[in-house]
Amino acid sequence: MRTLRTRLGFDQRELQSRRAFFDIQDEDLARLAELRELALKHMDDINEEFYTHLLSHPETKRFFPDDATIRRVKRLQREYFLGLFEGRCDLEYVENRLRVGAAHEQIGMSPRWYIGAYRKYLSQLLDRFTNELPVGEGRIGYDSVLKLIMFDMSLAIDAYIAANLETLGRHQAAIRELSTPVIKVQDRILLLPLIGAIDSQRAQQVMETVLLRVIEEKAKVMIIDIAGVPVVDTKVADHLMKTTAAMRLVGAQTILTGISAQVARTIIQLGVDISAMPTLARLQDGIELALSMLGQQITKAST
Amino acid sequence: MVETVQSWEVPIAREDDIVLVRRKARALAQERGFDAFAAAALTTAASELARNVWVHAGGGKAIIEELTDGYRTGIRMTFVDEGPGITDVERVLQGGFSTARSLGLGVSGTRRLVEEFDLQTAPGRGTRVVIVKWTRF
Amino acid sequence: MNAHGPIPILRVGSNLLTTVHIDLHDTVAEAFQQDVLLAIERTGATGLVIDITGLEEVDTYVARILADTGRMAKLMGAQTVVVGMRPEVAATLIRMGYMMEGVETALDVDEGLTLLIERQAKKRRST
Ligand SMILES: Nc1ncnc2c1ncn2[C@@H]1O[C@H](COP(=O)(O)OP(=O)(O)O)[C@@H](O)[C@H]1O
Ligand SMILES: [Mg+2]
Repeated sequence: MRTLRTRLGFDQRELQSRRAFFDIQDEDLARLAELRELALKHMDDINEEFYTHLLSHPETKRFFPDDATIRRVKRLQREYFLGLFEGRCDLEYVENRLRVGAAHEQIGMSPRWYIGAYRKYLSQLLDRFTNELPVGEGRIGYDSVLKLIMFDMSLAIDAYIAANLETLGRHQAAIRELSTPVIKVQDRILLLPLIGAIDSQRAQQVMETVLLRVIEEKAKVMIIDIAGVPVVDTKVADHLMKTTAAMRLVGAQTILTGISAQVARTIIQLGVDISAMPTLARLQDGIELALSMLGQQITKAST
Repeated sequence: MVETVQSWEVPIAREDDIVLVRRKARALAQERGFDAFAAAALTTAASELARNVWVHAGGGKAIIEELTDGYRTGIRMTFVDEGPGITDVERVLQGGFSTARSLGLGVSGTRRLVEEFDLQTAPGRGTRVVIVKWTRF
Repeated sequence: MNAHGPIPILRVGSNLLTTVHIDLHDTVAEAFQQDVLLAIERTGATGLVIDITGLEEVDTYVARILADTGRMAKLMGAQTVVVGMRPEVAATLIRMGYMMEGVETALDVDEGLTLLIERQAKKRRST
């Protein structure tokens, strides 16, 4: 498995250009490293305040159901916090920060909440910096930490969106599978009951799925039942013909069943020629036809 | 925003170069997680267009680029030649038309295999075809 | 029958079996076609199985060569079956609009040979 960073195509070049855009200079990083002492001093009280804030809002409180969770996230938060003052911003740092975004997606915390949480962090830091540092230094230090936190935020959102797309992809794959349920009727005979509308995207999925299954099962006959397809027009007929042609190329025959009176009328009235494949009204008859196709072959081959 | 991550240029100066273009396309598609159907579509498209450069224009080049939109990987292939150009673009895009007594499905078929397709040509001014295919999610 | 040229051609009963596993570009394709036809001429084979399991992609050029070889073989009295086409190859050809009509197909070499043997048996019975 490639890391999240490489999957996002986040390389040295991307790092350079993003750092340039966020104006993160080496001086900023050095300055943050110098502020580490101050950060350590306040780490615990900042963290406590931070969690008091998160726990006092129902929208964020629900992500921390028990004490064990709270202890765990507090520890992670301390690591995150210290990371800001290590004086580095390299690919390893990026990898770390991306993981934060992906983790948020996993628990279902959307960016609006953690953007709000970052705001809290910044206020707290501004507060400590102005209280404890000479005026100019506090302002410059705050500017440096602001840059790095905004940079972190951009990474968290990248990771969040990527993780979201991957989840979506998994869901789509699941839907694809459900919408193309190929059933093994018997050795070498498969059945695909098509249900619902067929657009060109679904038609392509159907073609790919049945091709793979035919090879997997070494099937000789593929029955496609279209009783559950609401509209059969020229386009749908064309998709079915293409699937049949593809089946033929890998050495399997297609039988089309579930042709209602309405569909038969439409097909003839539209002038669509589907004579290349055997068609039948009832699925049962299609299965019998498939069996006889195989039967014939078996007896012939053994003579 | 779409960015180019890496790019390669493959000259098409001999018939064997068609194979090189095809291999590069396949290797990249497989490395970047294109499924078998998408990889075959891309490689076949590459083969058709590279062959056209060789057969109909006597040579040219292919530029293969790896793209990212931040989340998905894309592969862009550009085929450029300074050959005779295409006179009857409409018929070529429709398919089944060939000046070489072959099937005439290369250009029209390729167009149906990819997500983005652009053809620029004029008689005597060469031909440039750009195709892009993206990973699915 | 000995392997001949870059693509081996084997004799199986009254049929020939050839397995294509390398890129069929111009020179190789012509040599392949020539070798197959000469082998039919030499052996008087009545059937030809072309196994393309090894081909990861088949463009319209190669598809045409396969179809033409079949048509030429037919002129010499040999029935051709193309076997082992991969799912992604089939889908790509169909999406491009090439149905390979007139080319007989089967799942694999076994199926292809069975089909030819059945045909030949039927023909013998009817004559
Ligand atoms: N790069 C090119 N330069 C000049 N003409 C081309 C080029 N590509 C395609 N053509 C023209 O378009 C026609 C159709 O091309 P194509 O669809 O690939 O089918 P085919 O190559 O089988 O003829 C060709 O016969 C040729 O006349
Ligand atoms: Mg062509």
